[in-house]
Amino acid sequence: MGFTYIEILSYTGPLQTFARSNLPSLSNFLNQDYLQIEVLGIILGLALYPYIYTASRISFSMIGTNYLNISKSMGLSNFQSFFKVVLPLSRPAIFSGLFLVIMEVLNEYGAVKYFGVNTYTAGIFRSWNSFGDVNGAIQLASILLVVVLIFFLIERISLKKSRFYYNKNTQLNIRQASSGIKPYLYWIICFIPFGLGFFIPFIFILNNSFETFYLADISKVINLTWNSVSVSSIASLLVIFFALFFLYVERISKSKINFYISNTISLGYALPGAVIALSLMILFKGSLLVGTFSVLLFAYVIRFLAVGKSPIQSSLEKQPDTIDDTGKNLGLGPFSLLQKVHLPINKFALISAFIVAFIDILKELPITLILRPFNFDTLATQTYEFAVEEMLPLSSIYSLIIIVLGSLMLLILKNYIDKQTDVSKS
Amino acid sequence: MFLKVKNLVKHYSSEFPIIKNLSFSVKKGELISFLGESGSGKTTFLKCLAGLEKTNSGLIELNGKTLNADNTFESPQKRKIGFVFQDYPLFPHLNLEQNITFNLEKKYEKNLDYILKLTGLKFLLERFPYELSGGEQQRACIARALIREPELLLLDEPFSNLDTTIKESMREEIYKIIKKTKTTTILVTHDINDALNISDRILIFKAGILQQYDSPVTMYCEPANCYCAEILGDMNKLFYKNDTYYVRPERVRVSKKKSKYKVHVEKCFFQGKEYKVKGKQNNETWHFFSKDPLEENKNVYVDFGEKDLIYFDPVCKNFFK
Repeated sequence: MGFTYIEILSYTGPLQTFARSNLPSLSNFLNQDYLQIEVLGIILGLALYPYIYTASRISFSMIGTNYLNISKSMGLSNFQSFFKVVLPLSRPAIFSGLFLVIMEVLNEYGAVKYFGVNTYTAGIFRSWNSFGDVNGAIQLASILLVVVLIFFLIERISLKKSRFYYNKNTQLNIRQASSGIKPYLYWIICFIPFGLGFFIPFIFILNNSFETFYLADISKVINLTWNSVSVSSIASLLVIFFALFFLYVERISKSKINFYISNTISLGYALPGAVIALSLMILFKGSLLVGTFSVLLFAYVIRFLAVGKSPIQSSLEKQPDTIDDTGKNLGLGPFSLLQKVHLPINKFALISAFIVAFIDILKELPITLILRPFNFDTLATQTYEFAVEEMLPLSSIYSLIIIVLGSLMLLILKNYIDKQTDVSKS
Repeated sequence: MFLKVKNLVKHYSSEFPIIKNLSFSVKKGELISFLGESGSGKTTFLKCLAGLEKTNSGLIELNGKTLNADNTFESPQKRKIGFVFQDYPLFPHLNLEQNITFNLEKKYEKNLDYILKLTGLKFLLERFPYELSGGEQQRACIARALIREPELLLLDEPFSNLDTTIKESMREEIYKIIKKTKTTTILVTHDINDALNISDRILIFKAGILQQYDSPVTMYCEPANCYCAEILGDMNKLFYKNDTYYVRPERVRVSKKKSKYKVHVEKCFFQGKEYKVKGKQNNETWHFFSKDPLEENKNVYVDFGEKDLIYFDPVCKNFFK
């Protein structure tokens, strides 16, 4: 998205070209150096707003309209109700989303490199890749780890302080919908982040892809798509295997040690990809494993285990302990209980876990760049390489495939979530 | 004895034992109600019987086979015990027939028709749990337990999630099924009516200790202590011959003649068949019944037979309030 926006805003881009022909007075104002940290901040905000959006949406839907109705009956306006009731109740969810945004920004490499912004991740890559200074890279990675841990602790402490236990009420009062011009206004406001964060870059990438399609090396495109899909699929399968293993052991053993182990391994999501990759490089230094798929897959599992765990965990938590007790009472051992009861009951969650892990791994960059085997490229690494070599139009087709694959998977995911909701309603 | 429990101890932390030295036995085919307040450890006890919770010490024997002892623990998979949980956990991915026959040994398959007829589920076999009513789900759980011909059936608050209207019919239905199959059953409940209506014997459990284990009539008329008396219904406290006694509201009659006991009527509620009266007798709250309405804030005389008086050991009075 960063590459795309810089292209859109550049002197030869569509915006300035249009301004020069139709609004000359504006063209000087638009002719700026956009490779600035502030612009990068806005772009990352647009790219990462779904984290906050999703967290808030889930929280708002759980609060429902009962609390709003109560606060209104106590004389509060819609505006006051939002700030005095909805926002405080949603604070833990919003803060969790914010934590993920911070982690994603710390992990970001492609856009920060392109914008020339010095972040820890960019520094790690520069030390390791350009200067060959592994020790410097390790030092930076260690500092980054401390920064991540500080944010992690802040998140945990603040969550502990502000976690509320309220009666979930998912019923929404449809009569709350406004009439007149207001709904259109709301729609436009809600469309802004989606339009700027997805629609405009997508149209631009689509257009670029059509224009440069004749230049594309189709066999390479197919090859890289296959690489990305196969490595993402294998890694996602491993992620759900380990996620299910740890969660199931935690569930049946009910031991605190297993609970802590299961939670500790989820912290991998808070670790920037570059830190994980460098740690594994050091761990396997001198062994034949360096530069093999095994280490790459291992790194993906560490980084995305939490992503895969989340849907499986929430699905398992919905099954009461009496389901397990009934299974045991009917003669099932732990393995047959998993096979005959939990796998079929939680199959939608397992598919959801596969899809979310797949999408994340498909677009992953820092780990792939550092740990990929020799001569192994993916759609993400190729997009990045073309973009940093200022050949953005050529990178579009690879970006487009990532977007199409991701969107397809999201559509499948939505289908499964709807099915899961139907089952849980029952 | 068919089921023998001896000196059973269960605790998660030794300072707060849930079950303290519980001992009792059950005859074959008996229906025993296990009565206690919410959180008193009733479900934990059932789980110990089923092997879903380990005991700390004590003996459990079923049909001559030791299930729990110092060095013995029979796994839940090997115990021939059927368990019907409070929340009717039918497997959501299986239909009714698949739920009932889940992991069923071949030798029990012949029971399917009989059990379905008994539980009235014959025409619902294709339905999934979400397509069944609460009562149907409950009967499905009972069918799933009974088809395996369990030596012992455990029912954990099976009526607590049902409407009052269907609760009574379900209670009768289950009673019939259990008696017809001659299945030894332990019913855990906190509802006294469940216990009084269908049990052969009632076991009252408080603070991890067995308080009384008797037939419903003995339990009601001759409670072992104040707790047992109170849990089975209201008690009116009075002073008689320099000591404290109790009398059940049912035994108190409104007297037209002047008597020793004068009650100041505070409230008179119509209950369909008769009126329930609440009042004060010698600063103690009393309840009793009257065929005719009584005027509030007026005094009435009441009477009862001496044989209706219940006396408890003075220490036991601490259980009250």
